Amino acid sequence: MLTQGSESRMDIRIAPQMSVMDKLKILGDAAKYDVSCSSSGSSRRNDGQGIGNTVAAGLCHSFAADGRCVSLLKILFTNECIYDCRYCMNRCSNDVPRASFTPDEVCELTMEFYRRNYIEGLFLSSGILYSPNYTMELICETVHRLRTVHRFQGYIHVKAIPGADPLLIQRVGYLADRMSVNLEMATAEGLRAIAPNKHRKTILKPMRQIQNGITENKNELTLYKHAPHFCEAGQSTQMVIGALPESDYQIMSVAENLYDKFSLKRVYYSAFVNVNEDRDLPALAGGPPLLREHRLYQADWLLRFYGFKVDELLTEKRPNFNTAIDPKADWAVRHLEQFPVEINRADYQMLLRIPGVGVKSAGRIVAARRFGNLTFEDLKKIGVVLKRALYFITCGGKMMYPTKLEENYIVQNLVYQNRMGRGEKLPFLPDGTAYRQMSLFDSDTWGQNYRAVGG
Amino acid sequence: MEEKYLICEDSMEGIFTGIYEAYALREGHEHVHIQIGEEENLRLFADYVHILPDSVKTDKVVRTLRQKLGEHVYHTLCRAAASCYADKGEAVYKTVVDAITAGSGRRVLGNFKNPYVARCFELARFTANEAHYEKEFIRFQELSAKAAKDTPILFSKIGPKNNVVPFVMPHFADRLSIENFMVYDEHRKLFGVHPAKEEWYLVSAGEEFDLRELTYSEKEEEYQELFRVFHRTIGIKSRENKHLQRQMCAYRYQDYMVEFQQK
Ligand code: SF4
Repeated sequence: MLTQGSESRMDIRIAPQMSVMDKLKILGDAAKYDVSCSSSGSSRRNDGQGIGNTVAAGLCHSFAADGRCVSLLKILFTNECIYDCRYCMNRCSNDVPRASFTPDEVCELTMEFYRRNYIEGLFLSSGILYSPNYTMELICETVHRLRTVHRFQGYIHVKAIPGADPLLIQRVGYLADRMSVNLEMATAEGLRAIAPNKHRKTILKPMRQIQNGITENKNELTLYKHAPHFCEAGQSTQMVIGALPESDYQIMSVAENLYDKFSLKRVYYSAFVNVNEDRDLPALAGGPPLLREHRLYQADWLLRFYGFKVDELLTEKRPNFNTAIDPKADWAVRHLEQFPVEINRADYQMLLRIPGVGVKSAGRIVAARRFGNLTFEDLKKIGVVLKRALYFITCGGKMMYPTKLEENYIVQNLVYQNRMGRGEKLPFLPDGTAYRQMSLFDSDTWGQNYRAVGG
Repeated sequence: MEEKYLICEDSMEGIFTGIYEAYALREGHEHVHIQIGEEENLRLFADYVHILPDSVKTDKVVRTLRQKLGEHVYHTLCRAAASCYADKGEAVYKTVVDAITAGSGRRVLGNFKNPYVARCFELARFTANEAHYEKEFIRFQELSAKAAKDTPILFSKIGPKNNVVPFVMPHFADRLSIENFMVYDEHRKLFGVHPAKEEWYLVSAGEEFDLRELTYSEKEEEYQELFRVFHRTIGIKSRENKHLQRQMCAYRYQDYMVEFQQK
């Protein structure tokens, strides 16, 4: 039953006797499969009138038992839903306990968590209560109160509900730092098979709207310095990995497209967890495909910061990554004609392509070279991972050890190092069976620093 | 030539005063060293000079460093000087020599070939990392109104290795500008204090300061419990990875964080 007055609406479905604690249990639990917890991309000082600011690189505040960063109070507004997506716990055909917050409850939790420094802000997502518009209005109301009544100036990430009125999405865009619409599946057919109520078009529409909003806002801001910001931290999306037989090549090509054509800030990959034990979806006996997910994140990093194109990394003929080594090493061993690279002469772009050299160390190499030729010892201090780089570099014309420049030989060595736990630091246990994954990483060398704030 | 050791106090002021004195000697820098605190084994043929921290000399050094080397290098030197390692005095001093006397100037930090510069860089990075973690992991607790004369005070206790309080205060002073808050380093017995809407400052805790006398507000326990529940809920069971959790957030931080306290 739905009454139309906006005040009384809220109270109908919400069991008044349910405590905030019980709601938080249900609605935190229901939100946890959304990967993004990033609080980066906005830089805003406090204005002295309320609480909060944002820092460009974002901040993690805690780490959950799965090792993923906890940056935002990530909750659903409600886990009621009229849709029936097969991979989702909250689908309407499931018999699970349901709960909904009120806007005030969300505001109070956010404010009290924030001033204790538990969180960097709020990530508000939602199931669909009655209709996309109805839900989006509640979300809008919540965020509006948080910004105006509570004068909250911390980070806010809001999920746009596909199918909601563009006006509502626009209003939220002026209140939030980031918005996201989940693509869910890499292909339109995949989406149709797994989420019968969702359509690729309805997902891409708000995505395009947000992109345009951001572009127009940038123009406004160059004209009027004090114009309000529209999604200052950009937009992101998420794809589920391993629920359907899609190749890495398909997935990465979609990601590249989203970066290029929709100017997304981040694409997240979420290893499929069969929460509903749906018999038509893979059971994945070894747990969620975490190693694959990890390789996709690494490849994603290569696209965004290392100047790689998907077609360099994968092809129709070779559509999946070799999970035994990381995508950059995989690329390097297949392009040995470009190696070894002389550290003292190579340009920055080429330095970036050397396995074991990250964005930071490439920068440091360029800076340090001005003081004279670098030795292997210097590279170590700079933070280059020599046991990975040594196959690919020379210093002053010499290699570190005599080594063969040969694909099989190098791959064997890298894999051997990994297996002995001395090579690439994977975010899982080193026994090679329990591949476990974190949220993300931001580092020179894959795996030093798995933090979700890098984006 | 005899080695000369300037024995300085373990503080930024101590180290910068030491650098002032080292230059005042006009003996070159090869045989002059800065040492923090007393050494147990005194070297036989060495000269030891005790230096008292001096704010006027410190100011002069600070002004010169900022002017000649720029804010970035200056801040790096400050972070190195806040390190918990005893060789920091010498590292900061010899880095200044490399920059000012040997002339590498603003580019000094790129000179990895000088072991003192490399060390200084490393120490500064360690302090910066720890300060960064504390910005993330500090947990404030709300004291009861009685203790706080009717306006709430947020209180946080930390136990960092390096002296990071001066580096985390500006962050919270901006973010929580309208709050009264305190960050307490229990190893150094040092407070960072921020009265609402005012400038923050540092103050040493007196002997009589006793944490157990603090009382917490009525709501405090409730929000801690809510966060503990949220924190427990948000982890995905089939991905559990305590090893990674510990790697990302070391026990020495967890010890101070409400969500890791079993209640
Ligand atoms: S729309 Fe689909 S994915 Fe979203 S809550 Fe409803 S059932 Fe779940």
